[in-house]
Amino acid sequence: MNAEVVYRLVKKDCSLMRGPLCVYTLVASVAAFLPALGPGWKGMGVTLALNVLIGLSFHVTLGTVLGEREKKTLPFVMSLPLRPQEVALAKLVSSYAMFFLPAAAAAVSLVFLSPVDIFTAMAHDGRSIGAHVLGWCAYFALVLGAWTVFFSTVLASAIVTESLGWTVAVITTLLFVFGNGLLQLAPRLALFVRYIRDLQRGGPSLPLTLGVELLAIALVIAATLWLQSRKTSFV
Amino acid sequence: MESKAIRLRQVRKAYRHYTLDGISLDLTRGRTLGLVGQNGAGKSTLLRILLGLVRADAGETEVLGWRMPEEKPRIKARVGFVSEDMALYGSATLEWHMDFIRTLYPNWDRMRATALLERFSLRPEQKIRGMSRGQQVKALLLLTLARSPDLLILDEPTAGLDPIVRQDVLNELRTLKEAGRSLIFSSHRGEDVEDLADEVAFIHGGQLVAHAETAQFVRGGRRLEQTFLEIVSAQSKGRVA
Repeated sequence: MNAEVVYRLVKKDCSLMRGPLCVYTLVASVAAFLPALGPGWKGMGVTLALNVLIGLSFHVTLGTVLGEREKKTLPFVMSLPLRPQEVALAKLVSSYAMFFLPAAAAAVSLVFLSPVDIFTAMAHDGRSIGAHVLGWCAYFALVLGAWTVFFSTVLASAIVTESLGWTVAVITTLLFVFGNGLLQLAPRLALFVRYIRDLQRGGPSLPLTLGVELLAIALVIAATLWLQSRKTSFV
Repeated sequence: MESKAIRLRQVRKAYRHYTLDGISLDLTRGRTLGLVGQNGAGKSTLLRILLGLVRADAGETEVLGWRMPEEKPRIKARVGFVSEDMALYGSATLEWHMDFIRTLYPNWDRMRATALLERFSLRPEQKIRGMSRGQQVKALLLLTLARSPDLLILDEPTAGLDPIVRQDVLNELRTLKEAGRSLIFSSHRGEDVEDLADEVAFIHGGQLVAHAETAQFVRGGRRLEQTFLEIVSAQSKGRVA
């Protein structure tokens, strides 16, 4: 694996997407400050931050990954002196690089605008500042991690299938079937209610969930690189 | 140095609807090979196998003496590829592309790039999406030629070009040929192949039906298309019989 070549490809992708990424980061940051306009604006901030995450996931996946095939730039990239695995790795790295800055801003806004007022809870808690910061970071990582699992799955399906249809099917399944199903059914399950309470208290569910999120992301990346190495056609 | 630009032995690639099969073909370095065949005959697949964009199911492929796909990055570093269905990044300028390519190819020749910019009347600061199809093909050729490839593979390089741009492209390829570079190209235009190729390979139905010196196929004032149609027709009759 040639790290220099991977770096060049990542730089290329980020350079081509820098305009939209600046806009996403700006909008995600603005979302955190909307409540300053009045009490009714908090919900607007949450919606805006969520829309940044959804829009960003679509834009990075469809633009950077599937866009190469649609805009016929894939033969140009694949004719360069690279291995297919290097191209796949570069796509993963550049997509995560492009995803993380605006997504981090959106995740900060979501934690800040969360219905669970973490800051007030912290103020009434007798723990040290360090413990508060650590706790805040854990919740931030939880939100960002959950969305990164979603993003990784969509990204993997785009890289492996190179098909808009399959990628949209994965997005639809995750968002509308799995996501909606979870929202409708989970609150009725006693086990889930206990899990959410434990998360809010910062109990063992918090590090466990973070661990599961990290493991899921690692598995998706490993599966993507493995499937890519088995391909026989690259354009 | 290996004297063969390419060496194919019993190369096979099967798709759902057609199969490229039993392709054995050699090209000596410094020569130009024209691939002629109908749409879907397998010309593009063959060119893509040579560049490792498609992996053959069976057979041996050697390019510039290196085995494909084992030595793919090494081969691609020495081979230039331009295809009619290839595009550059529309939102970026030609200069951005030149900078990007320069970082990947140590043998990038800045002076040659400048000379090609002038010859092709291209402006480096121009965005690709603002270029005509002809200018885009010239830009692709510039990015390929400025890194001095030992072998140039072109898939329908003159398709969709107006007569003036087509002549510019053909002139550039003629210059390369005279400079002793190896060239393999596919084209629907018999006159382009007659004009440029030292040897011609006819591909039909996924098979190599004939391969010889161009002069043999155009003997007695015949046109290449005519010879191709006769060979294909004779083959079809043979199959029926």
